[in-house]
Formats: sequence, structure tokens, C-alpha cells
Amino acid sequence: MNASIKQDTAAAAIATPALSVEIEGVNLSYGDNHVLKDVGLSIRPGEFFAFLGPSGCGKTTLLRLIAGFNQADTGRVTIGGRDISALPPWKRDVGMVFQSYALWPHMSVRRNVAFGLEERGVKRAEVDRRVDVALGLVGLSHLADRRPSQLSGGQQQRVAVARTVVVEPKVLLLDEPLSNLDAKMRVQVRRELRELQQRLGLTTIFVTHDQEEANTICDRIAVMNDGIVQQVGTPMELYENPANLFVANFLGTANILDGRIASDSRHFELDGGIVVESGSDIPPGSKLVFRPQHAILAPADAKGEGVAMPCIVTGREFLGASVRYLVTIGTNPVAIDVPFQSGRDLVEIGAPASVRIPERSLLWLSN
Amino acid sequence: MTAIPTATTSHPSRRISATPGQIALALAIAAFLVMFLVLPVATVIYVAFTEKGTSSFTLVNFYDFFRTELFMRSLWNSTYVAAMSVVWASVFALPLAYLTTRFAFRGAAIVQTLGFLPLIMPPFVGAVAMQLFFGRNGSINLLLDEYLGFKIDFMEGLNGVIFVQSVHYFPFILINLSAALRNIDRAMEEAAQNLGSSGFRLFRRIVFPLAMPGYLAGASLVFVKVFDDLATPLLLNVKDMLAPQAYLRVTSIGIADPMGYVISVVLIVASVLAMWLSAQALKGRDYATTQRGGGGLARRKMSPGEAALGYGVVFLILALVLAPHLGLLLLSFATIWSFSPLPDGFTLAHYGRVFGESSIYIKNTLLYATIAGGIDVVLGVAIAYLVLRTKLIGREWLDWMATAALAIPGVVLGIGYLRAFYGVTLPDGTPLASLWITIVLALAIRRLPYALRACYAALQQISVSLEEAAENLGATKSRTVRRVVVPLMAGGILAGFVTSFSTAAVELSATLMLVQSNSDAPLAYGLYVFMQSAAGRGPGAALGVIAVLLVAACTFLSHLVIERSQKAKGMDH
Amino acid sequence: MLNRRFVIAATLGAMSLPGIALAQAPAGKVTVVTSFSKDVTDPIKKAFEKAVPGVTLEVQNRNTNAGVKYVEETKANNQVDLFWASAPDAFEVLKGKKLLTAYKPKATDIPEKIGSYPINDPDGFYFGFAASGYGIMWNERYAKANKLPEPKDWQDLAKPAFYDHVAIAAPSRSGTTHLTIETILQGEGWDKGWRTIKEMAGNFRSINERSFGVPEQVNSGQVGVGIVIDFFAFSAQASGFPVKFVYPTVTTVVPANVGIIANPPNKAAAEAFIEFLLSPAGQEVLLEPGIRRLPVNPAVYAKAGADYPNPFTDPRFQKMIGFDVDKSEQRTAVVDTLFDQLISFQLDGLKGVNKVLHEVDAALAKKPNEQAKALAEEARVLLAAMPVTEAQAASAELRGAFTGGKEKGARQAEVENQWAGFARDHYAKAKAKAEDALKAAK
Repeated sequence: MNASIKQDTAAAAIATPALSVEIEGVNLSYGDNHVLKDVGLSIRPGEFFAFLGPSGCGKTTLLRLIAGFNQADTGRVTIGGRDISALPPWKRDVGMVFQSYALWPHMSVRRNVAFGLEERGVKRAEVDRRVDVALGLVGLSHLADRRPSQLSGGQQQRVAVARTVVVEPKVLLLDEPLSNLDAKMRVQVRRELRELQQRLGLTTIFVTHDQEEANTICDRIAVMNDGIVQQVGTPMELYENPANLFVANFLGTANILDGRIASDSRHFELDGGIVVESGSDIPPGSKLVFRPQHAILAPADAKGEGVAMPCIVTGREFLGASVRYLVTIGTNPVAIDVPFQSGRDLVEIGAPASVRIPERSLLWLSN
Repeated sequence: MTAIPTATTSHPSRRISATPGQIALALAIAAFLVMFLVLPVATVIYVAFTEKGTSSFTLVNFYDFFRTELFMRSLWNSTYVAAMSVVWASVFALPLAYLTTRFAFRGAAIVQTLGFLPLIMPPFVGAVAMQLFFGRNGSINLLLDEYLGFKIDFMEGLNGVIFVQSVHYFPFILINLSAALRNIDRAMEEAAQNLGSSGFRLFRRIVFPLAMPGYLAGASLVFVKVFDDLATPLLLNVKDMLAPQAYLRVTSIGIADPMGYVISVVLIVASVLAMWLSAQALKGRDYATTQRGGGGLARRKMSPGEAALGYGVVFLILALVLAPHLGLLLLSFATIWSFSPLPDGFTLAHYGRVFGESSIYIKNTLLYATIAGGIDVVLGVAIAYLVLRTKLIGREWLDWMATAALAIPGVVLGIGYLRAFYGVTLPDGTPLASLWITIVLALAIRRLPYALRACYAALQQISVSLEEAAENLGATKSRTVRRVVVPLMAGGILAGFVTSFSTAAVELSATLMLVQSNSDAPLAYGLYVFMQSAAGRGPGAALGVIAVLLVAACTFLSHLVIERSQKAKGMDH
Repeated sequence: MLNRRFVIAATLGAMSLPGIALAQAPAGKVTVVTSFSKDVTDPIKKAFEKAVPGVTLEVQNRNTNAGVKYVEETKANNQVDLFWASAPDAFEVLKGKKLLTAYKPKATDIPEKIGSYPINDPDGFYFGFAASGYGIMWNERYAKANKLPEPKDWQDLAKPAFYDHVAIAAPSRSGTTHLTIETILQGEGWDKGWRTIKEMAGNFRSINERSFGVPEQVNSGQVGVGIVIDFFAFSAQASGFPVKFVYPTVTTVVPANVGIIANPPNKAAAEAFIEFLLSPAGQEVLLEPGIRRLPVNPAVYAKAGADYPNPFTDPRFQKMIGFDVDKSEQRTAVVDTLFDQLISFQLDGLKGVNKVLHEVDAALAKKPNEQAKALAEEARVLLAAMPVTEAQAASAELRGAFTGGKEKGARQAEVENQWAGFARDHYAKAKAKAEDALKAAK
């Protein structure tokens, strides 16, 4: 409790007014390799924002572009309304925490953290005071005189964060900051990061390939693939209303069923002859998508609301809170999550059944 | 040299004892060094410890050394010249190394190669060419005198020695520093930029400290090499320095004075001391900057203004340090060049004269220098590994022994080889010392410190965790070295090889003692033979140019290899 | 193996009695260690192999010092037949260490002496095959640019005009320079001789550690004037360098020598080589422009051009004082070390005094002043003072310090330090006197 108060005070000492980040029409190529394609994003002041996508999607390139380590071919980046595209990295005032932490091995923890302040010509006494505050903020005051190589991974990560926030950057960039930590540390550190960000009220951009990380701590997420921003939204929006197959598949588990759209655009014929009727026009090129927990596994002859599709149960996984049934609809493999309730009978493997989905849970998505 | 704390501080329990393989390796190297360095040299310099008349052990000769004004003056002069040479060599080397490794610099490989050339200064001709350019009546001073009415004493006295030595030896810093700079993870530099650092401050506070192992490896080499060099002071007729004093005394006929050997001992002790001090400077610090195993070199683009400045600086430095080679080239085409800014006329005749006989010299030189360079990097990697990564007792001695070779005048080593191996004969009566392999061994021993320093610095920059990862995956220590350590050290190893190879290619002092016949002779010997007469000056220069081109071609090739491996490793962003 | 070779060598040795030696025709490889340049060795090798078919001459090029060390270190298993170099003192060292084999050449038309220097070792261990005279070489372009007068004699080099323009090789490094110094010492006497040498040395630009360094510097114009052996200048002229050479009125004639190493692997061929060198055919090769040495066979000069110097008829060579070889040998190390300690390593001090004395002379020339003249002379006396007398220089006690000999006594380092201190003291005092003289003269 005491420590928390101290940290809050420390945070108050560091916090600065939050600024927005605007990325407009950014394109970047390495030779023939078009890495970023017309990227436009609008990040609000004080927001914890994630770039999420598989490796090679361009998310780190975009982050480095904001930091000034990459130069866009077209487009611009503004922070708080000011165009920073032409500034070199050292004039941008954008704090970045590197994936490898990039702690300088020839300097102690204290010297590492003091570096940015010294570069800004802050007076010695002030540097000392602010370094102490920053180290207090990450709870590492007692390790100030160690060398980076003498710290654990989590401690190194916190030094890297302290080193970055101590200069009161306008924006904080985090490049996969959790990837070098073990699973348990990861959960702890991501909460710490979130708390710290909240306390500082700092606009923060977080690059990750892990949807769980992004979902748990970020206000909004930009899902990226192949150099293109696929969708921007809160974690829940993305989950509920993915804009395309990629987003649906990348966030959470999605059942995707292949088939042909009938000429009236209202019917979808699955492989295996099953036909699904839609209440609205099916967009051309779409596939049928639904979440495992939005469907019900009913007896084969049961009647009810929504769309019903006959299926055969091929497997069963116990997940604790639920049971996941692996079934086949026609030739499409599908997962259905059923809440686990003690004493209730499970559907046997090999049994024919029916998958029933409410109309509103059906998604028609294309790439 | 003491162990680097990367291994020790963060992993205090690691590698408490050595494996039998490591012990065997250490013993084998020790045996090699004792056999081909310590014993031969000892047969010569033991005289330093004997009393006149009785041949019993004494230290009185050292007492004489410290009491003699000339020797004290020489000691001070040598120290001063060596230190100042390091300063100036750094001034030449730092911009070249930094610009060509950390920036997108067109022609980096060419700059690196050209910047390396000064090290390949063939004996005698190089000196003549340098005098013709920078001497009291060299081209530059004749022109200055004619148009501006004054002269600059480039080559006078101690300052002249400093000038020539820093031009000659700065590639040691260039090559080692470049290797170190290439190994710095770009995130290290970017993190600093991100925190507002740039330009010279970035270099001074982050980049240079991280490259410190490489810089110190080069700087200590320059210091020791200048401290121990006798050719340049003698060329400039500066005799009150230690190495020339030792040489003059050891090689004067008919004078059996122990002081030459006493000075040799002092040189050896001072050299080892300098190396030890440079190791102390790194002690307690961590320089393992290759954390992810790739380097991930960042090559920044320069703005047009920066580029103009950068190319200007590089051009100026290269023009200065390559002037001797330009002089050499002119000399090789010159008819007569005497007291004039340029030769009287030009001719191809000198090349015609050496054309026939140079092929055997070239073949021998390539053969000897390649084998010697190969021996050096193998020993260099092994010694660096044993010293830095094991806890073998006395492992530092391997380093010290190898380093001491720097301080041993070539002529002492040559005499030692004759003394130690000439009595040993093959079954057909041929003395062991008359086989050409003896020349190769002498070259390898003399150039071992160069390769060793390069390998040492390269290994210092590699994080132990990369090796631990390999061991963790089931690789034995020897396989780890072969599959992880050596590939990661490749840049440093190549740097070491190139340095050893190219300096071995123009070495003369030990060679002159050991060459038994013209058919076994390397280029440097052929050069020497020509440079003993006025008519041989042109052909000698032509041979010198051939030597320089030969070594330069090999150097360029290896730079291409380094560049390529860098691209494969870390240029993916 | 070693034994077998020894037996063969011994047999050959026995056979080499006059008249029998060439009964067995020389054949195979004969190895010679030499300090001579390719310009010299190549034509002789060619001519020799033509004159004695079946023998190949293997030339090992080493400087004289390295050559001596090499022969010394490899004596246990010697592979070298001949030693072939200029400096007589190198041969003396080899002879002293019993590394040479005595031989009596059959060539009869070679006189006993050249100038007053004996051509052959009286004990028959080495033989002069060519002579060279010492003299002054200068670069014409340099002389013109620096307005140097043409030097004619040693004393000219002590004149103010030559200050900082003269180069020499250290006598401890160049046997021929040593002989020049010794000649001056013997010709003028110990004290006066050293005074001449030091006054000349006060004008030195550099003291080289290699004989060839001096002509090289003059050729390239780095130094104006060099004290060199004649063939350096002649071969430079032949190559087209703008240099001139003059024999001073008193010159030293130095024979270049050849000798057979003890236990030579191919003694018959070694002897054949010596016979060839001394034969008219061998002597004539010396006249080639790239070699330009003075043959020791007077008859050969008939084939040389009219302007070719002939030491057997030229009066300048005949004037050379009676050179006492024994005296020279006794004090070789002492003289060389004195030169090093008083001149080479104290050159700045010496030149400092000399420069002031030149200024005094210039001032006195304009306005005579007795007091200044006396002070200058005092300075010159201080400059010329020697720490040892001629008798001491030849004493067994002092010589012992340099031979590293078995007897106990003063160590070389002690003696050297003492002499260096003596020089520093005297040069400092001389500097003070010279400056007083300059004040008085102005």
C-alpha cells in the first residue's frame, strides 16, 4: 500500500499531458518488398494502443517508423498535431522500449536510466532526483548500482522501461516488451505496464503478436497483416465484429465454413450438400464464420431457433469451464464450446448431432 | 589477461574446472610456444643475465641499464613516441572505422582495404618512397619551399617517428575497431538515439565504449608495436630509442655486449605490461554486445551534408596515409627521381626486370604468409577461448607468451632458430632450420600477437549465453566452439588472419636470417636484394608494388567475405 | 651424416695442397653468403658458371652482420662454402672464431698491397679481390639549390657551408667507414684526428646504420653530401642519378674480400670460385658499369676506360699513409664505441656547439676580436677532448670490456656511460664558451 502511494507520487512527478498520434497514408518499401501499405491510424491521447499481427506483418516496422528509425516513402506521422516525419530519432521525444531491452552493458543501471536526462542537459542534482523517482516507479531502487548483466530478465525489462519514461516522452513505444519473459512474469509485467501507463496517462503503443496480451491490456488494437491495417477497434469489437476472415481467425477461435453462395445471395451451400439460409444478402466471396461458444450442440432431431446444421461428433476436449466438441459439418471441421456443468451428460463421440446457431451470430466474411 | 566478467560475474558457478580436452589443448599450445618461441629466444637472451667473465647469473646488467643516461633517455623516448603514435593512429582510424561500419557508405570495402594498405609497407622501398614524399627534400617540402617559402619537418626526430609510425600502424586500430563496431547490436545505438543522443555524443557515450575491446586491442597493438619497432627510427636516423639500441647492439659485429639482450628483455617486459594494462582497463566491465547472435548492424543513411563531410574526411585521411604508396608507385615507374617533386621520366623497364624472377617470390610469399596466418588464427582462437572461457590455472601465460613475441626483434628470433634447430638434422643430413617451414614458423610466431588480439576482442563481444544455448541443446564444448563460437567470431578471425597474413608477407628481419636459397625466398627478401644498389631502386620499388597489390587483393577479398557474412547475418531490417 | 661430411671435407682439405687440389674437377653447388647486391653478384655468377661448367653458384644475400651471425650459428652443421663481402673486419671476426679455412690462391699477378693496405690476409684466410676508395659523393641538384661549394677534401666538410648537409655511416655498422675513421686517426694522430672527425661531425645531417643508406640519401636528394665508398657513387652515376664523386687527397683504399668457410661442403668448387675471382676473366667483370670496383690485378686496367681510376698509378692512392693493420685491429671496438658515444648518440649536443662556432667564425670574419677567437678556441678544445688516450684505447684492460671476454673487468655498459657523461659535460661547457665567444664577437 505504502509502495503504491510512493509510486503514485512518482508517477505524478513524471506524468505529462497525453498527446494523440496520427499516422496518415504511410507507405514503405525495401526494394521490391512493400512492407507498409497505405497505413493510416489515429491514436487518441492517453490511449494504450496495440499493433497486433503475425511476425512479418509490418507492425515493428511501423513502430520504428514512429521512433524515426525507418523513413516512410509517403505519408506522415504527427504527435499532438505536430508533424515529426522529418525529425531524426533523437529529436522526436518518443520513448521506445526495445525487444532486447538494449541496456548498455558498460553502464550501471543508474547510468543507463540517467542517460536520456544527461543528453537533454538536465542538471546533475535533477538527474539524480528523477532517476531515483523512475527507479522507484519500477521498484528497482535497490539495484541501481548493478550492471545489466547482473539482473534477471524481468528486472532488465523494468530498467528499460524506467530508462524510457524518465525522460517524459510524448509517446511510449513498446516493442514486444514481454517476449523475453517467462509465462508467469509475462502476466505480472503486463499488469504492471498497464498500471504504469494508467498512472502516467501516457499515450502508449504496444507491438505484439500475442492476441491475449493485446486483449488484456490495450484500449484499442490495430490488427495488421501483410503491411495492411485490417481493422481497428476495442478488443471486444474486434472479437464480436471482425472485419474479415483474417481478423476473425487471428483473434480467438473462429469456425470458418467453405461453400458456394447461391445466385439469390440468400443461400449458402456447404461442401457436403448442406444449405444455410441467410436473413440478409451474403456478400460475394464470403465464408460462413461463427465462434465456438455461439453455437449449441443439440440432438440431431431437435427443433428450435436459428440455423441448424447436421453434424457428426469426432472429438472432445475438456477445457475446465467448458467442453469443446470437435464436429464435422459436411466436410468442414468445426469446434463447439459447451459450458461444463457437473452431472450433465456429454455427447458421445461418433454420435450424429445438430449444430444450432442464432441468426445474429452468423458472420459472412471474406479476406 | 584475466577472464572477462561476462562469464564470471553473471555465472559465478560456471566452469569451475576444465575438461580434459581443454587441458590437452592448453598443454599443446604451451608446448608449441615453448618450442618455437621461448626456447629459441632463451638461447639468445640468457646472456642478459650472465656476469661478464664468470658467466654466472647476475642482475648487474639491468643495474647498468637503469643507470645509463642513454638508455633512460631511450626508454622515455620510446614510451613517448608509442603513446603519441596511439593518439594519432586513433585520429586516423576512428573516422574511417565509424563511417564505414555504421553508415550506409558506398565503397566501404574499398575504404577498408585502402585503409589497411599502410600496414603493408615493404621494407626499404617504403622508407625511400616516404622520404621522397615527406622527407626534408621530398616532393611536399620542395613544393612548399618553392611556392610558400617554408618546409615542414614531417620526418625529423621523434615527431617524425610518431608521424611515420601512426601512418604505418593505424590500420591495427582500424581493423580491430571496425570488427568491434560491426558487432554492436543496433538496438544499443537506437536506444540512445531514442533518448535524444546523436552525432559525436552518441559515438562517445555509447558506440565507442561498446567497441572498447576492439579499440583497445588495436591501440595496445599500436603501442607495443611502435615501442618495439626498430626499422622506422633507424630509417629516420633516430637512435636514442630502445628497439634501435637493442638492434644496433645485437647486430654489431665483434662486440659481445650483453646490453642488447638486456634491452630485449626490457622490451619484452614492457610489451607484456602494456597488454596487461589494456586488459585491466576492460576488467569488471561487460562488453558482450552480441546478445542475439546476429549483430543486427544498423547502417544509417547520411544526409547530403553529412555525406559530403564524411567523404571529405575519408578522402583526406586516405590521401595522407596512402601517400607513401603513391610514392612507391611513382618510384616503380620512375627513371630518375632525385631532389625533385616528381620523377624526371617514366618507364616500364623496372617491371620488366623483376617480371621473370618475381613469380617464385610471389609463390613463396603467398604460401608462407597463408600458412603463417592460418597457424596464427588457429592458435589465436584457441588461446582466446582458453583465456576467456575456461578457468584453467595459468591460462593467462599462454596469452603473455604469445604477446611477448611482439617485443622480440626479428633478428633475435632468427638467431634463436638457427641456434635451436640448426643442429637438429633430418635423416639425410639436412638441418631442420634450413627447411622453408622454419621461415613459416618464425613468421607465424612473429605475427601471432596480431591474430590473437583480433580473436580475443571478437570473443569478448560474444555473450556466453549463446554458447550455453548450444550446450543446452546437446552440443559438446568442442562442437559448440566449432558451430557457434567460431562462426560468430568470423569477422574477428578474418581480421586477424588478414593482419597476420599481410604483415607476414612483407616481414624481413627474421626471414633474412633464415632464407637458405633463392628458390625458398619470399618477396621481402627479393626486395632486400634489389635495394642494395642504386640501380636496384626501381626494380625494388616494382617488386614492392607487386607485394602491396598482392596483399591488397587478398585483403579486399576477405573484406568482401566479411561484408557478405554481415549481410547474411543482420541486414534484414 | 655429419661425420661423413666431415670426412669428405677433411679429405678434400688434404687434397687441396698445391697442385693436387684441382685434380678433382669442381662440380655441384657452391654456396656463398654475401652482402653484395644483385648488380654485383649476377654478372659474376654468370661469368663464373660459364668459366667453370658444372658448378652452380648459390647466392645467399644477407647483410654483413647477419651473414657473420649466420655462419657462426650454423657452424655445427655448416652448409656454406664461401663468405664474400667488403668489410675486412667481418673476416677478422670470422677468422678469430675459427670459421674460415686457410687457402693459398694460385693467381700470381696480384701485388701484395694496394695503396698501403695489404690485399690479402697475411695468414691466408681471406683474399682481396677488388679494391674501393673512399671519397665524397654529392647530389648536384641539392648542391645547386643549397648553394654548396664543390667539396674537394675531408677538411672542406667541416666548413660552415656544409652545416647539416653531410651524411656518413656509423663506423660500428660499416667496416669501410671504420677504416676511414681509422685512417684519419692514424694519419693525423689520435688527438688531432679526433678533433678533425668531431669538427666534421658537427656538420653531420645523419649517421646511418647501413653503408648503403648514405648513397641512397644522396641519390634521392635528402642529404647533399655523403662520405661513401666509390662504387656507390659510380653505380649511381651509371644508373643516371645526378651525383658526383671525388677522391680526397688522402683516401682509404679498402679491399673487398672473399674467404672459404671452415668445413665447406664443396671445397673444390669454393676454391674454383676464388681462383675465378682472381683470374683476369673474373677481374674484368668488375669493370662493368653496374659493379665499378677496382680490380686488384693491375694488368686488367688496360681494358678499362682512360677515366677509370687506377689505384696502382693514381698518385692520390699512393699518398695514403702507411696503414698499421695491427694497431687498427687492437682498438676497433674502442674506436667504434667512442664514435657512437661521443658523436652518434650526442649528435645534437655536438651540432649545437658547432653551429654557434660557425656563427662566431662568421662574426670574426667581419670584425676580428681576439677575445672571441680565444674563447672559440677554448670551446673547440673542449669539443675535441677525449676521455681516453691512444695508449689506453689499445690497452688490454679496455679491450676486455668489449670482447665480453672471460676475464673480469669493467663492463662495456659502465665504460659507455662514463664516456657519454664525459661528452655531455664537455659539450655543455663548450656550448657555454662558444656562446660567450659569440657575445664577445658581436
